[in-house]
Amino acid sequence: MSVKYIPVQWNPNKWLYDIVMLAAVAAFLWVFLYVTPEVLSHERAINPQIHNARAFGACAFMMLTVILCIGPAARLDKRFLPLLYNRRHFGVMTTFVAITHSGYILNWYFNFSSSDKYVGLLYANSSFGQIAGFPFEIFGIFALVCLMILAATSHDFWLKFLTPPIWKRLHYLIYAAYFSVAAHVSLGILQDQQNHVFTVMFMAGAAAVIVLHIAAWMADRAEAAAKDGAWAEVARVGDFREGYAKIAKLASGDRVAVYLMEGKLSAISNACAHQNGPLGEGKIIDCLVTCPWHGFQYDVRSGRSPAPFTEKVPTYRVRVMGDMVEVHPDANPPGTYVEPVPLPEPEPELPEEGVTT
Amino acid sequence: MDVAQALVMAMQTWGMIGAVVALVFLVIGIDRIDEDARGAYIFRPLLIPGVLLIWPLVLWRWWQIETERAAWAARYRPVRASYGLAVVLMSVGIVVIVITGLSVRQTWPADIAPVQLTEGAGQ
Amino acid sequence: MSDKPFFVGYLPAPGPLRTFLLTICILLIAGLGGAGFLMGAAQDDPGPGAFRFDYGRQTVTGVVEMTPYPVIHVVEGNDRIKPGDSFMMTAGGKAGVDGRAMPLNGQLAQVSGVVLERGDLYMMQVRGGQNGLQAAEGDAPQITPEPQGRWQLTGEICDGKCLAGAMRPGRGLAHKACANLCLLGDVPPIFVSTQPVMGEEFLLVIGPDGTRLPREAYDYVAQFITAEGEITKHGDLLIWEIDIDTIALADEGTE
Repeated sequence: MSVKYIPVQWNPNKWLYDIVMLAAVAAFLWVFLYVTPEVLSHERAINPQIHNARAFGACAFMMLTVILCIGPAARLDKRFLPLLYNRRHFGVMTTFVAITHSGYILNWYFNFSSSDKYVGLLYANSSFGQIAGFPFEIFGIFALVCLMILAATSHDFWLKFLTPPIWKRLHYLIYAAYFSVAAHVSLGILQDQQNHVFTVMFMAGAAAVIVLHIAAWMADRAEAAAKDGAWAEVARVGDFREGYAKIAKLASGDRVAVYLMEGKLSAISNACAHQNGPLGEGKIIDCLVTCPWHGFQYDVRSGRSPAPFTEKVPTYRVRVMGDMVEVHPDANPPGTYVEPVPLPEPEPELPEEGVTT
Repeated sequence: MDVAQALVMAMQTWGMIGAVVALVFLVIGIDRIDEDARGAYIFRPLLIPGVLLIWPLVLWRWWQIETERAAWAARYRPVRASYGLAVVLMSVGIVVIVITGLSVRQTWPADIAPVQLTEGAGQ
Repeated sequence: MSDKPFFVGYLPAPGPLRTFLLTICILLIAGLGGAGFLMGAAQDDPGPGAFRFDYGRQTVTGVVEMTPYPVIHVVEGNDRIKPGDSFMMTAGGKAGVDGRAMPLNGQLAQVSGVVLERGDLYMMQVRGGQNGLQAAEGDAPQITPEPQGRWQLTGEICDGKCLAGAMRPGRGLAHKACANLCLLGDVPPIFVSTQPVMGEEFLLVIGPDGTRLPREAYDYVAQFITAEGEITKHGDLLIWEIDIDTIALADEGTE
C-alpha cells in the first residue's frame, strides 16, 4: 500500500517468493551452462559465447512462459493466487536474463567488425522480403524493448501515476512480447536445429500459455451482464454469506462487489485501486474488504482504505426487492459513504425438515 | 546502412530527451503531482529507466494531472474487455508464426549432384 | 465463495495452501532445472572447424593473387603447409586483408598467422600490419587460372571465416546476420557444395567478371540454393563465379 514510496516493500512472503524464483532460474542456468557441455559429445565444443547466449535466451523464454501461465491459472484456480502476488519481481528478473542474452549476441555476432555493433545489428541482414532468412533479430529487439518497458514501470508509483487502466494497457505489451519471442525463436534457432527436443519444448510452452489464456478468457465471458440502465440484479438474499461478496456485472462492463458484513449489505467497485484486482473475490478481514491479489484493504461502506492509507474505490447504492438484492449501475465518487442495507431474513420457502430425517 | 544509422541515432536522441524529462520530472514534477512521493527520494532513481523509455507518456500524464483533465471514473474502469482481443491476437499470431517457421525449414539437398554444363577451355 | 484458504500477501500463508505452494515451488525449481538440461543437451554439433592455435604460428611465402579476394599460392612452405597449396586470408575480426594484399598482387609475399581449418577448407588469419603480410625477395612465378567450364551447383553460401571455425556453429540461418557482416567486411565467401566438385567440397565464390560477391546475393546467404557459373582453378583452389540471375532455392529448383 502507499503512504511514502520506497524502492521495494519487502515482507517474508516476498523473500520466499524471490528465493524460490532465483533458485529455479539458477537451476536452469547452472544445468545449461555447466552440466550440458559435459554431456554433449561434440568433436569441437560450441563457442562459450554462443552456449551462454543460448542458455540465457532459453531461460528468458521459460521464465516468460511461467509468468504468462500464472495469471490465467490464478483466474481458473484461486490456489494459484499467491504466485501472482510478487510476479513483478519475476518479470524484472526475466528482463535482466533477456538483456544478458542480447549482450552475448551483440558482443559476439555483431562485434569485431568495423561498424558499430548496434548499427550492424540493424543493418547486416536486410532480407525483409523472405521468411527463411528473415532478420529475426528484429523480433528479439522488439520483445526486449517491451520487457524493459514493463520492468521499468513495475514500481507502484507507475500504477498510481498512469492510473491502473493505462498501466494495464501498457502491460498488455507482454502479449505482444511473447508473440515476438515466438517469432524470434521460430525464424531463428528453429530454422537450423536438427535435434527437435528444443522445438518440442518450445511448442509445449507456447501451447500451455495459449490454452490457459483462452480458457481464462472463456470463463470470464461466461458471466452474464445486467440489462442497461435499470437496477442490476446481484443475487438472492439467501445466497449471501457473512464476510463474502457476490459480484454483479453491469451493462457498462464494470463489476460491482456486494459484501455482507455484520448482516448488512454494502457495494463497492470490484476493481481494486491498486492493480484493479477483483475485490469481490476477496473477503472481509478485521472489518475490511481485503483484495485477493496484493492484500489492499477497504472499508466496505465508504470504499476508503484505513488511515494512514489513502486509496479509495467508488461505492454503489444497494436495495433489496423481495428476494433479490439489486445494485444501482451509477457509481458514487470514490470514497463516498453509503449507509449499509440490512439483509432481510431469507424467506423460509424451502422447509428445512425435508432435509433432516 | 543509412537507415540503421538513423535508427540508432533516433534511439540515442530518444534517450537524451528522456534523460532531460527524467531530471525535470523527478526533481520538480513528481512532488507536484503525487503526495506520496513528497519526502521520498530513495525510490526515485528506480523510476529513471521508465522515464527514459516512455517519456512522452510521462509528459502527457503530468500535464493531465496538473490540469485535472482526467475523469475520476476512468481510473476505476478495468480493461478486461481488451483482454480477450489481446489473448486471441497473441494466440493466433503464435500459431501462425510457428507453423510458418516450421514450414520453411530447409533440408540439406544432399542428393543433388553438381552438373557440368560446359567444358573448360583447358579440358 | 467457499471456505477455501485465503492468501493475503503480507500474512503467513494458510496451512492447507502451504502444501500446495510447496509442491508448486519444488515443481518449478525441478522443472526449470530439467528444462535447462533438455534444452542444453539438445544442441547440434557445430562441426569440426576451429582455429588451430595448436599448430602454432605459421609463416610461409607465396604469390599473392586478388581473385578479387586475396589468395596466397605457396612457393616456400613449412612442415605443415606445402608448396603448391593455395589458401585464403583474412584479418582479425570481421575483416579481410584487401588493403594490405592489393599492392602485393602478383608479387611474392611472406604471410604469417594462425590457421583456421575445417576438413579441406583452409584459411589463414594473418597477423596485423607488416608482420602478417609483407613483400618477399625473389621471383614470383606466374599463376595461370585454368577454366573448368560452367557448372550448376547446389549448396550454401557461407562466410569463409566463421565456417572454417571462427564461430561454432558458423553457418545456418540463425547465423545469417553475422555471416553478412563478415562478407561486408571483405571476409571471403565460401560455397559449400552438396557433393564434391572435382574433389572439392568448398569453393571460393565470387561475383561476375572477377568482382566481389554482389549485395543481391546476400539474401541467399545460408539458404540452400542452386545456381550456375564458371569454375576456374587457381593453384589448387576452385573459384566459382556465381551467375546471380540463375540463383534459385534448392527445393524450388528441383520441383
